[in-house]
Formats: sequence, C-alpha cells, structure tokens
Amino acid sequence: MQNLLKILLRYSNFLVFIALEVAAFLLIVFNNAYPRSSVLSTANDFVAWQNTLVSEVSGYLSLRSENEALAAENADLRNQISSISSEQTGEDIHFMPAKVVQMTTDELHNYLTINRGSNDGIRVGQGVRNAEGAVGIVRTVGRNYSVVLPLINTHTNLSCRFTKNDYIGTLQWDGKDSRFALLADVATHMVVNTGDTIVTSGLSPVFPEGIPVGIVENSILNEGDSYYTIRVRLNTNFKRLKYVEVVQNAAQDELEELENGMD
Amino acid sequence: MEWTKQIGRYVVVMLLQVLLFDQLQLWGACHPYIYILCLLMMPITLPHNVDMLIGALVGLVMDVFCNSLGVHTAACILVMFIRPYLIGALVNDKDRLNEQISLRSIGMEAILRYVVIMVIIHHLMVFALAAWSWSHIGFVLLETLVSSLVTILIIIGYNILKYR
Repeated sequence: MQNLLKILLRYSNFLVFIALEVAAFLLIVFNNAYPRSSVLSTANDFVAWQNTLVSEVSGYLSLRSENEALAAENADLRNQISSISSEQTGEDIHFMPAKVVQMTTDELHNYLTINRGSNDGIRVGQGVRNAEGAVGIVRTVGRNYSVVLPLINTHTNLSCRFTKNDYIGTLQWDGKDSRFALLADVATHMVVNTGDTIVTSGLSPVFPEGIPVGIVENSILNEGDSYYTIRVRLNTNFKRLKYVEVVQNAAQDELEELENGMD
Repeated sequence: MEWTKQIGRYVVVMLLQVLLFDQLQLWGACHPYIYILCLLMMPITLPHNVDMLIGALVGLVMDVFCNSLGVHTAACILVMFIRPYLIGALVNDKDRLNEQISLRSIGMEAILRYVVIMVIIHHLMVFALAAWSWSHIGFVLLETLVSSLVTILIIIGYNILKYR
C-alpha cells in the first residue's frame, strides 16, 4: 500500500497530465456530438458582445456595400411576400431577421454567431437563410445569441433536390473552398448537367421546400461508381454575409416528435 | 508583483488575439495563436501540476472564443506538461529560471529553440484536433506551418523589443 502511494506520488505530475488531457478530449468528443453549451461558446453573452463590437466597427467601414445588399434584399423580400401570399401551402413559416456578429469561412469547422437567441424564440435545428439562399442550421442557442452551423462546415448535411426532376441528394462540404460544396447520393441513372439548379428539398422541417442552394458547377462519374461526385457553386456568398433570416416553422416540434416516434 | 504583471500581459495579449488576430482571415490557412506567448514566458516557479491547470484554464478561455471546446485546452495542457523538461534540456544555468523565460534570462539560442518547438507542437495539436480526421492532413500541416511561422516571429520579435 505504501509502495503504491509512493509510486503514485512519484508520477503524480504525469497522472495529472493524463487526467487533464482525458478531460479535454472528452470535451472535444462531446462538443463534436452535441455542442449544446451556450456558456462555453460564442453564444455566451460576453463573448458575443465583444464580437458585436468588432462587427459594429467594421460595419461602418463597409456601409456603402451594405446598403446595396440591403436594397437588394428588400426587393427580394417583396417578391417573396407576393409569391407567398399567392400560394396556399398551409405551412405556418415565420422569418426572423438577424445580424451576423461573428463568422469564420476558412477553417474546416466554420461557425457563425447571430444576434438572436432563445429570448427571440430561436431553437436548435431551425434553418438560417439570407436573400441569396440557404445559409445553415442553428446549432447552439444562448439567451441573446446563437451559433449557426453554416453549409461550409464539414459536419453539415443538408437534404437538397434538383428543380428539374425532383431527384434528392445530400449537400456536404469538403473543407476547401467556401464558394463550393459537394452533392452526394445522386445515383448515376440521372443526367446531371452544368447549370442545374439545386434547392432545399423540404424533407426536413429545417427549411421549407425550394430555398435556393446553388447551381451545378461540374459533375464527375468515375468508372465503377454508383454515385456522381457533383460540385455545386453555392448561391450564398459566405465571405460577405451580414444579414440573415431564421426560418421558424410552427410545425417543427410536431414533425420532430413524429420522426422520433418512428425510431 | 511578478504575477500581476503576468496577468496584465495575459489580458492585453488575449485582447490582441481576439480583436485582431482572430479577425485576420488573410491567406486562408493563417490562424496565429499568439496567446500562448503568456504560457511560454511564464516563470517556472509554481508546482508542475499548477502550471498544467493554468494551461487548461487559458486553453478553455480560448476555446470559448473559437467554438472549439477542448481543442485549445488539450494543446495548452500538453505545452505546459512538456515545458519544464524542455527548458531543463535547453538551459544549463538553473539559477536563471526564477525569472520569467525570456531572451534576457536564457539567451537567443535557447529561446529560439524553445519557442519554435513549443509553438509547432501547440499549433499542430490545435489544427489536428480541430480537423478531427486524417482526411485533411495536408491542410492541417499547411495551416501549422504558416500559422506557426507568424506566431514564432511575433513572440521572438516581442522578446527582442522588450528583453534584449
């Protein structure tokens, strides 16, 4: 017993090192699987406040281009209102405007932080779009800020469909270029042309059907493959993302409950 | 008094890191983590265990700003674990280690080797853990190379300006 204690004391530094590293690795693993900690992320009020400050300052430096983007967005919104009022889909969908206060675009796991949180009714799993197209999915919600997983994060999967024939595929990102993503799971019996339009499929409650995602840049079919490798040019320009809208689908809870009930 | 200075420097360096260096997204692969300057230059007077706990804390704070819970924590703990052994191997004159580790206390050759080894270990660990897969190994190595170079230049430059 005494010898054991002696050994433990002798190697205590190493044991502390191992214990701390194990704790850090558990944090990484759990954060990759369920990043729900709103305190230990940029959804934290203080951290996000600092990011807001930075984006306020840089916002003044780019007012002109921002105004142009806002004007374009307004026009687009008016078009949307007219089209929405004309169709009777029966879906109760609300768009909550938000400002991007922090964003990375050149890492493998990019995130963006928006200035809306649980106080504004934001919930994990809601879709985020802007005037150009789909942006990402809400991943962590704090009281006043939320962290969004954009399309340009290697963890993101988004169900999409071709407008021309309604074939479904899964949009993923390869970590290389924030302008392009890859569309997987498209079987080879379909003909893919450059310039085909890709939109959200509406199969999950995250996004309603038909939000633009991108257009096909090129498609490769290696011999022996049963699926295409399709490169999609994303509609959304993540490098200059400033304003977004969170998609709040009133039926999301019910749909998720139904899906969970199936398992 | 020494520790108030150390904490003061940590606050200033952390502000620079978050407000300036995290905002630079210049060459796509350049993310210098200059905050480890504080860990590297801390005097080696505290018990080794306490050093590692400080490392864990500093890493955790950085993780909160990067949405990468655990990544910087793991890298900083490793850096703080290796530190006394590396310094022991690089510096013969043990009397000088009561001061903080700087150009003045250990000399140009030792500080250069020390900073280069530590920064590369730290950056490689951060980028590899953040990628969390072998499929991006090329990008991880490029990121490590470019970012380490900038961090090393800044830490050595700071030493030359302040502790020659």
